[in-house]
Amino acid sequence: MNHKVDVAIVGTGPGGYVAAIRCAQLGLTVGVVEDDRPGGVCLNWGCIPTKALLRNAEVVSLLGRAAEFGIRLSGFEVNYAEAIQRSRRVADRMAKGVEFLFRKNKITLFPGRGTLKSKNVVEVKGTSGVETLEARAVILATGSEPKSLPGVAIDEKTVISSTGAVRNERAPKSLAIIGAGAVGVEFADVYAAYGVQVTLLEALPRIVPLEDEEVAKELTRTFTRRGITVKTGVKVASAKPGGPGLVVETDDGKLEVEQVLMAVGRAAKVTGLGLEAVGVQLERGFVKVSPLMETSVKGLYAIGDMAGAPLLAHKAMAEGVVAAESIAGRAPRPLDYGNIPSCTYCRPQIASIGSSEARAREQGRDVTVGKFPFTASGKAVALGETEGFVKVVADKATGELLGVHIVGPEATEIIHEFAVGRTLEATLEEIIHTIHAHPTLSEAALEATLAALGQAIHI
Amino acid sequence: MAVTKVVMPKLSEAMESGKIIKWLKKEGDRIQGGDILAEVETDKADVEMEAFGGGVLRKILAPAGETVPVGVLIGVIAEPGDDVAALIASAPAPAPARAGASALAVAAPSTPAPTPTGSPRPPAVAPAPMRPSPVTSAPAAAVAAQPSGGRVKASPLAKKIAAQTGVDLRLLQGSGPGGRIVRRDVETAGAAPAAMRAVPDAEFEDRPLSQMRAAIARQMPLSKAPVPHFYVTNEVAMDRAWELREELNALEGQPKISLNDLVIRACALALMTHPGVNASLQGDAIRVFHRAHIGIAVALEEGLITPVLRDCHAKSLAQIADESRDLAARARVRKLRAQELSGATFSISNLGMFDVAEFSAIINPPEGAILAVGSVRRVPVVDEAGLGVGRRMALTISCDHRVMDGAMGARFLQDVKRLLEEPLRLLI
Repeated sequence: MNHKVDVAIVGTGPGGYVAAIRCAQLGLTVGVVEDDRPGGVCLNWGCIPTKALLRNAEVVSLLGRAAEFGIRLSGFEVNYAEAIQRSRRVADRMAKGVEFLFRKNKITLFPGRGTLKSKNVVEVKGTSGVETLEARAVILATGSEPKSLPGVAIDEKTVISSTGAVRNERAPKSLAIIGAGAVGVEFADVYAAYGVQVTLLEALPRIVPLEDEEVAKELTRTFTRRGITVKTGVKVASAKPGGPGLVVETDDGKLEVEQVLMAVGRAAKVTGLGLEAVGVQLERGFVKVSPLMETSVKGLYAIGDMAGAPLLAHKAMAEGVVAAESIAGRAPRPLDYGNIPSCTYCRPQIASIGSSEARAREQGRDVTVGKFPFTASGKAVALGETEGFVKVVADKATGELLGVHIVGPEATEIIHEFAVGRTLEATLEEIIHTIHAHPTLSEAALEATLAALGQAIHI
Repeated sequence: MAVTKVVMPKLSEAMESGKIIKWLKKEGDRIQGGDILAEVETDKADVEMEAFGGGVLRKILAPAGETVPVGVLIGVIAEPGDDVAALIASAPAPAPARAGASALAVAAPSTPAPTPTGSPRPPAVAPAPMRPSPVTSAPAAAVAAQPSGGRVKASPLAKKIAAQTGVDLRLLQGSGPGGRIVRRDVETAGAAPAAMRAVPDAEFEDRPLSQMRAAIARQMPLSKAPVPHFYVTNEVAMDRAWELREELNALEGQPKISLNDLVIRACALALMTHPGVNASLQGDAIRVFHRAHIGIAVALEEGLITPVLRDCHAKSLAQIADESRDLAARARVRKLRAQELSGATFSISNLGMFDVAEFSAIINPPEGAILAVGSVRRVPVVDEAGLGVGRRMALTISCDHRVMDGAMGARFLQDVKRLLEEPLRLLI
C-alpha cells in the first residue's frame, strides 16, 4: 500500500522521534519507520538501560558503605539478573512513552525496515508485507552500531557488545573491556560493583581519552582503588577461545577472562538503506550533511549518529529539531558543535564542555585555570561523595569560558550552567556574580570559577 | 493572509528613490518585526530599513545595488504556507531609477502577472515551506527605522573583546539572536584590514557621483545663489573654556566634553535669547523657531552630512556630549536614522581639528544661519598686564540677509562669545 506524508523519517531513536514530534508540531504529517522498538538504541539498548544498571551499581556500593553511615546490615544479597530485569522494565517504559508521544502527535508508525526507493520514497518491509511512503521530505536517522577490532568478532556470547551486555542476565566472573571511552568505563563500573573481576584495556595513553587529562587521572585513581585493573597504551591483537572462556592477546601479554566486552566505538548504519542509488555522499563512513542537516540530495536529510560525531543522543535530538524546522521553512539556527556537553555516568561521573586545558593551550590561548575539589564542598562531604573536582579553563585576557571539566558527584547535572553560560557568551565574571545556593554541589562550579580569577573562598 | 509587503521607504522629504546597499536577511530567513532587513542608500545617508511584520522573508525583488523608487515593492514577508506568488507576480520589475527621476515612472507592472488558466492555484514558489498559515497580522508597509534606544545588545564576551581591541559596539550589526552582538561580530570588525591602495595605471578616472555627492552638487548652488549671505567674524578668548573643559574631563564617570560641545551649548543658549537668528524665510513670512535643533556638520570620505541634535536648548553639556558623539560616530558609518537628518533650525560647522584659523560656511536652507568654528590657537595677546599668551578661537556666522541683518548676527555672536568666555554660564 502507498501512503503519502509530508515527512517520512527512518529510525525512531532520539534523533528520529524528536524530529517527528517537531515536524508534527509544525503542522506536517509524519510517518516514521522502525524495525525495532521505538526509541532506538538510546532508550532500548544504550543510554537509558545503562543508567538503570549504573543506579543499581550505586545502590550496591552504598549498601557496602552502610557502616560509614552508622547502619549495620547483617549481610545482603545482590542479584545481577534482577538488575538487568529492572533495567529492561525501565527501557520498556520509556519506549512506551515514545509510542504514546507518537499517538499524541498523530505520527504514524510503520514497523519494518526502511529503504530509499528514490529520494522521496521509502519502502517499508514489515512483517505484514511491503508498504511505500511517499514524502515531500525524508529524514534518515538510523543511528549507529558497535564496532569491533580485527581479530575479535562480536558473537554476543563470549565477545559481547554493549547491546549484548544490557541483555545478558548472567554476569561473568572475569571480564576484559576493550576500549575505555564512555561505554567502557560505565560497564566497568557496573560489573565491578557486582563483583566481576574487570580489566579495562585502552590503546591510547589514558582512559576517557576525550576528556581532560586531570579528569582521566582522577578516574583512574578511583577505579584502581575499587579493584578495577586499568591498562592503558595496550593494543589488543586477538581474543581466542581458551582458559575460562577467552584468551586475550595484547602487546603487553596474555589475559584470560570469561568474557570480553567490545567498547571501541560505534559505526554509522549507512548500509542497506539505498543511499548509493539516490546519490547520497558519505564522508569517512558518515553521511555528509549541511549545517541544516540536508544531505547532498535536496529534500533528503540525515541526523544523529549516522550524520557524524559526536555520537550523542542530545546532539541527535538537537539535529532533529533543526531538520524539522528547516523542512517546515522555519530558518532554524544551526547547532554550535563546539558547545555540546559530554557526559559519562560512571562513579564519579564525568561531564565536560568545550576545550580541555591541553587543547586550549595547543590553540595558543593564554589560559587561566581554576580548580575546586569536592573534598572542600560542604554538600559533597555531607553526601559522602567527595571524589573529584570542577576545573574551569578560561581565556586570561577576556575571561571567556574555553572549557569546563567536572569529575565527581552529579557532574552531569552541574555542567549545564556552563553550557548556558557559553551559549550566552558569559565570562568568568558573569558566573561569579551569579549567586549559587548553599549548600549545593554547584557551589563547586562557582568556586572553581573564582579560583580561575585567584579568588576562591573555600580553599 | 498575513503578508507584509516590503516597499522602498521614504526616508526623507526629498527622497525619490533609494539604492539597496545590501540585504542583511536572505530569502528564507525568519523575520521578526523590528529586524533590520537591508541597508538603503539615500541622497543623505545610509539608512537601516526595518521590518514591520513577522514571518519568513519569502522573496527579495530588488537585489543589492538596485536603485528603486520610493513605494515600490522590494520584498515580501509571509508565513511559509502563505501563497505569495500572485503578489510577487504583480510587482513591477524593479526598473533602475536615477536619483532625481520621477518616482512614479514605474507604477505600472512591466511584466504582466501570469494568469493561471484552469487551476486557480499558482505553483508553489519554494519547495520547503509546507506549514499551514498561522495567525499574524501585519501592517502593509515597512518604513523608516525607529529609534531603538541607547542600549547596545551585546554578549559579555563581545563587550570585553570590544573594550580590549577598541571596537565600537554601537557601530556593529549583531549576528546573534535578535541582532545581539556576539564574539564573532567583534572579531570580524577588529580584523577588517585597512583598505589597500593600488597604484592606478590610467592617467585619471571618472568616478560616478555617489548619491551623497550628487545631492551636494545639486543642493549647493541652490543654497548659495538664491540666499544672500553675509558674514560676521568674532574672536573668542578660550582660556577659561579650555580650563573648564579640562576640569570637567578629569571628573570620573562623566562623558568627555569636546570644545565643539561647548560651542553647541553656547549657541543653543544664545539662540534662545536671539530668536531672530533661529529663523527661516518661508515665502512671505519669517518663521521663528522656539526650539534649537542644531545641525552638526560631519565630514565623511565622500562628502558631508549634517545630523541634527534636537532640543539643544534643553540639554545639559553632558547630554550634548554624549549625543553628539553618538551622532557623529553613526554618521561616519552611515547608520543615521531618517529623522536625524532633517529639521535643523541652525547649524555648526567645525574645522578646528584641521588647524584652520577661520573660514565661512554655506547656509543650509531653509535654515537662516550657520556658524563656522576655527581652531583654538595660542596667540600673543595684550591685556592690562601687558603682553601674554592666550587661547583664541575665531567664529564666523553666515546669515541669510533676507531673514536678519548684520547687527542681529553680531549681537548673537557677541552673546556666544560671552558664554564661552564666562563658561560657567554653560553649566547653569
